[in-house]
Amino acid sequence: MIFIILERILAHTSFFLLFLITLIFWGKTIYTRNEKLDHFGKKGMVIAYSCVTGFSLNRWIYSGHLPLSNLYESSMFLSWSFSLIHIILEVRSPNFWLGTITAPSAMLTHAFATLGIPKEMQQSAVLVPALQSNWLMMHVSMMMLSYATLLLGSLLAIAFLCISFERNTDFPVYYYDTKPSIFSFLRRDLHSSNREKKGSFLQKKFCLLSIDYRRWRLTQQLDHWSYRIIGLGFPLLTIGILSGAVWANEAWGSYWSWDPKETWALITWLIFAIYLHTRMNRGWQGRKSAIVASLGFLIIWICYLGVNSLGRGLHSYGWLI
Amino acid sequence: MATPLQFRPLLGHHFSSPSPLSRKNTHLFSSSRYATLTHKLVDMAFLCSSGQCCLVVKASAKSGSAGQSQSVKTVRHQPNHGAQTLNPVKKNSTLTTLPKAPPLVETTTTTALSPDLLETVKNVEVISRSEKNAVVPRVSVAGNYTVKGLFRQLVRQLASLPLAIAELFAIAGLSAIGTIIPQGESPEYYFQNYSDGKPVLGFLTWQWVLGLSFDHIYTAPYFLGLLLLLAFSLVACTSSRQLPMVKVARRWSFLKSEKAILQMDVTDTLPCARVEDIGTLLSAQGYEVFARGPSLYAFKGLAGRLAPIGVHAALLLIMAGGTLSAIGGYHGTVMVPQGLDFQLSDALRPMGILSMPADVLNNSVHVDKFYIDYRPTGEVGQFHSDLSIVNLDNQTVFSNSISVNSPLKYKGVTIYQSDWAISAVQVRVDGSEPYNLVMAPLQKGDNKLYGTFLPLGEDGVTKAKGISILARDLQSVVLYDQEGQFVGVRRPGSRKPIQVNNVSIVVDDIIGSTGLELKMDPGVAPVYAGFGGLMLTTVISYLSHSQVWALQEGTSLVVGGKSNRARFEFEKELNEILDCVPEIRTKKQRGDFSSTETATQKQ
Repeated sequence: MIFIILERILAHTSFFLLFLITLIFWGKTIYTRNEKLDHFGKKGMVIAYSCVTGFSLNRWIYSGHLPLSNLYESSMFLSWSFSLIHIILEVRSPNFWLGTITAPSAMLTHAFATLGIPKEMQQSAVLVPALQSNWLMMHVSMMMLSYATLLLGSLLAIAFLCISFERNTDFPVYYYDTKPSIFSFLRRDLHSSNREKKGSFLQKKFCLLSIDYRRWRLTQQLDHWSYRIIGLGFPLLTIGILSGAVWANEAWGSYWSWDPKETWALITWLIFAIYLHTRMNRGWQGRKSAIVASLGFLIIWICYLGVNSLGRGLHSYGWLI
Repeated sequence: MATPLQFRPLLGHHFSSPSPLSRKNTHLFSSSRYATLTHKLVDMAFLCSSGQCCLVVKASAKSGSAGQSQSVKTVRHQPNHGAQTLNPVKKNSTLTTLPKAPPLVETTTTTALSPDLLETVKNVEVISRSEKNAVVPRVSVAGNYTVKGLFRQLVRQLASLPLAIAELFAIAGLSAIGTIIPQGESPEYYFQNYSDGKPVLGFLTWQWVLGLSFDHIYTAPYFLGLLLLLAFSLVACTSSRQLPMVKVARRWSFLKSEKAILQMDVTDTLPCARVEDIGTLLSAQGYEVFARGPSLYAFKGLAGRLAPIGVHAALLLIMAGGTLSAIGGYHGTVMVPQGLDFQLSDALRPMGILSMPADVLNNSVHVDKFYIDYRPTGEVGQFHSDLSIVNLDNQTVFSNSISVNSPLKYKGVTIYQSDWAISAVQVRVDGSEPYNLVMAPLQKGDNKLYGTFLPLGEDGVTKAKGISILARDLQSVVLYDQEGQFVGVRRPGSRKPIQVNNVSIVVDDIIGSTGLELKMDPGVAPVYAGFGGLMLTTVISYLSHSQVWALQEGTSLVVGGKSNRARFEFEKELNEILDCVPEIRTKKQRGDFSSTETATQKQ
């Protein structure tokens, strides 16, 4: 009984926190820099992450298996992965715009899991014989982690497309005071390294004070980071698909049976392979590759949710909507 | 000089001659312990195994020495003679006199050597020509219409990136079609669901579906042809683009002019700095550093350039293994009641032309027992079959118990637990000997229902009346009387009799059948190897190849670098490194006579 109460408390707390953090991060891009809220945003994400971790551990303990066996548990794991990636990236190289994308992703997947799935499907059930295997841990966790990273990278690519959409519009140069509101987020990365002003090729192209430069800088950052994050998610996806294939061979004797879920995972893999290859061509970097990554966003959702609703194939037993 | 020379460095010969022959370190700082080395000019004299002493000397152009160009003078000396007089072999000779074979991999250690020099000896590379950009060798064929020329053209076409991307898109699209249209159904299914009357999406009738092989798209000739084309593209790309690029990436060169360095992505000029300091800092960050005179070159993450070749190779291996699986090996499915057996050669059917018969097919498999673990809630816990493999002489050569995720493997044959059924119910009627009533399936699939019939009376087949016994699983049976009314439920083995139409029945047992899937697959080994390789190489491909060049111009240091994948991270890293480079102030600048002071140059 204590487990169920604990689970409920943790789920509600983490959702509430994620909601607040989303508001804070979104607000950060609009209003002035407030140190306290900044701090709360960062710490709040860590707390939400630990709440969801606690939730998963709790479920693990009283169900006896890793909490990844149905749609509810895997959606919570997805939300957990988003907050994990946010924390890792925040530590590695902090960006002001990272939270605006990871926090709502974590919150929305959490909301889908707790509010969008009927209560009967949220129950923790015993594993059917086909799922009683150690491969379950490796395969499903790798797939969910890869979904989270690839979704994040695709969202960054979509953001890139949105921001660089009106490229030729002329913006007037705004006057701003010492604590500018709209431009603080754009200017913050300028101070990170003074040296680039001197020798870098950026200086030759743009005047530092024009808004075009800062917007261009932001789009460059988004482009670069979407590439790096998708570059990280692609090996994870590979490992997930291949561990699934090995598991299928050990369980059913065939490592690839063109099951709809398998096929859509392969299609996701192909789309992101295309994305990584378009980056090789200097002319296609930027907008064209971002379009491919945005397509990848749709395809991941089809792969994760759409296929299960078809009702056919090996993956539909536990997750029928 | 034909034999590969083994060099052994001799330490400690400091030449007293002045700066025109100022010998800077030609060695590599491959560990941060370099910082303990002094900045004095250390000459390396190599003792060749042939007994000659060769001295490699570089005259630095920067110190305004006699030599205007960077020249290397190779000197031969008498054995055991300190290198004193320098007789240059010829001016402007390149290092072609040194052997091309990897020169300094051998270190015969002497205790006099510091560990740094040991390591450094291993890493010196032969520099044959200073080039700013090494050119990818483009083979120009005399006539484009020779077979060789055409082949080269074909390879170049196959290796083109747009073609590869188009192929990947096409495979993705066709695979998606295969998930929307159900695969492998009978033609009647398509006549019904894709009928002429109401075509799907307005145009998709069964003629489209069957004509374009959409019902078995994954084995359709055009799909397989597309996969084959992808395989050819992979081979062409690896051979014509990736391998030459690796050669270029590994063949590095110092940049000689400030202008060349300033064209890099991230550049800077530090006014009072030394090239050795940046060498130390770079090696502390994990770079492999090479320095010659005033020039420096450092790189990191070369594996990130090599790994994509591994990715292509792994993909090809997986495709080859998959092909082998598809046309070689054996496959079969059986449903065997408990207690019976079957021949492996009956159950296993060859898959294709590469299927090789094997001795193991002579054996037969006996199902000793089939049982299901049920949970207290009534759900299935696990299926188990105890199997034993019996050879031609009726001896059990192997036996094991299998369940759903643990198959039986014996000499290349793998037996998986995949399905189950109910075969018969064993009853005792009115105290008779137990006998089996065979059960027939009334419903298959997930909700199985099996039934059997115990006739009472002999009015003929049309008027047969009897007791119906139904079972959904191996836990209990339900009995109905001859009017079809429900009578009761009995658990097999409970020995409780039940009265049905004046007949006393005791249900002894329900006998199940195990559904087994058998396989012999020669393609599993290459496919697993390909899987492992692909997992590893895609992870390594994430690394970014970063390169840094530096040049000492008088007292100032020009630094430039680039990275192929991680541009912003590299920029940040290089900026942090440059922040830590110490600023050197001469005595005049400081105005006192103490030893050289250093101050960190923070911006």
